[in-house]
Amino acid sequence: MADIGQVRIRVPSSIKAGDVVQVRSLVIHPMERIERDAQGKIVQKNYNYINKVIVTYLGKTVATFDTTQSVAENPFFSFTFKATDPGLLKVQFFDTSGGRYEGTAEIKFS
Amino acid sequence: MMGNRRVSRRTVLRTLSALGVAVASGFDPVTPQTAHAQALGQNETVEDAMKRLFGSKTIKDGSPAIKLDVPVIAENGAVVPVSVSVDSPMTSTSYVRHIYVLADKNRIPIVTRVTLAPEAGRAFMGANIRLGETGDVRAIVEQSDGTLLQVKREVKVTVGGCGG
Repeated sequence: MADIGQVRIRVPSSIKAGDVVQVRSLVIHPMERIERDAQGKIVQKNYNYINKVIVTYLGKTVATFDTTQSVAENPFFSFTFKATDPGLLKVQFFDTSGGRYEGTAEIKFS
Repeated sequence: MMGNRRVSRRTVLRTLSALGVAVASGFDPVTPQTAHAQALGQNETVEDAMKRLFGSKTIKDGSPAIKLDVPVIAENGAVVPVSVSVDSPMTSTSYVRHIYVLADKNRIPIVTRVTLAPEAGRAFMGANIRLGETGDVRAIVEQSDGTLLQVKREVKVTVGGCGG
């Protein structure tokens, strides 16, 4: 799984100032599920899954996702933000094993 | 490697022992998750989860305001696209603070809690979630004045996605 942590962000190709823009983001991550042994008891271990996603635009937090293991593998999140100025949109993913993956998209007006 | 003469036996041993501690704490079998993860996602029934999240606050029917978009039949429970959008002006005085997504039949019913800022422009979230079996998916919205609104829809799952 060499791809773990790859982040993809898709923004619309043309954005006008003041638009509410919908963005799609994805990170390659296994999102481990709960395992059970033969007796049906949960195997206690440190499961590795994304538990926090933070979206910032121009340095301000726009949206935060607190997630659990009920989110699918290679989690995909979409959200909106109001494009007021050109600048950087950053999406950061944190997992329970201390991993931190981030992707950025440059917001430009056309 | 011959140039690395300065790495003494002592530093090597010290580094190795530090690594050992890190590995041991990373795989500690007694504390399975970080405190944060434990606070949100737990093995519980959806009633317990709702009680834990909202206490005894009343939850109103939000069907006029909330649009919960889920498939009627999900062939693969491992990836179910869900999106929630809420009618809200999203101004600094009146906006949607949280969107919760809960799956009633999942072992960990709380799927995600989204915290929004007025800068989001529109109260919207989308995600791919897992569903263990056929059951209701709820979207609960907490507005900035504390009002709770809920909608739920049943999703039929052909193959469960939560495993284990």
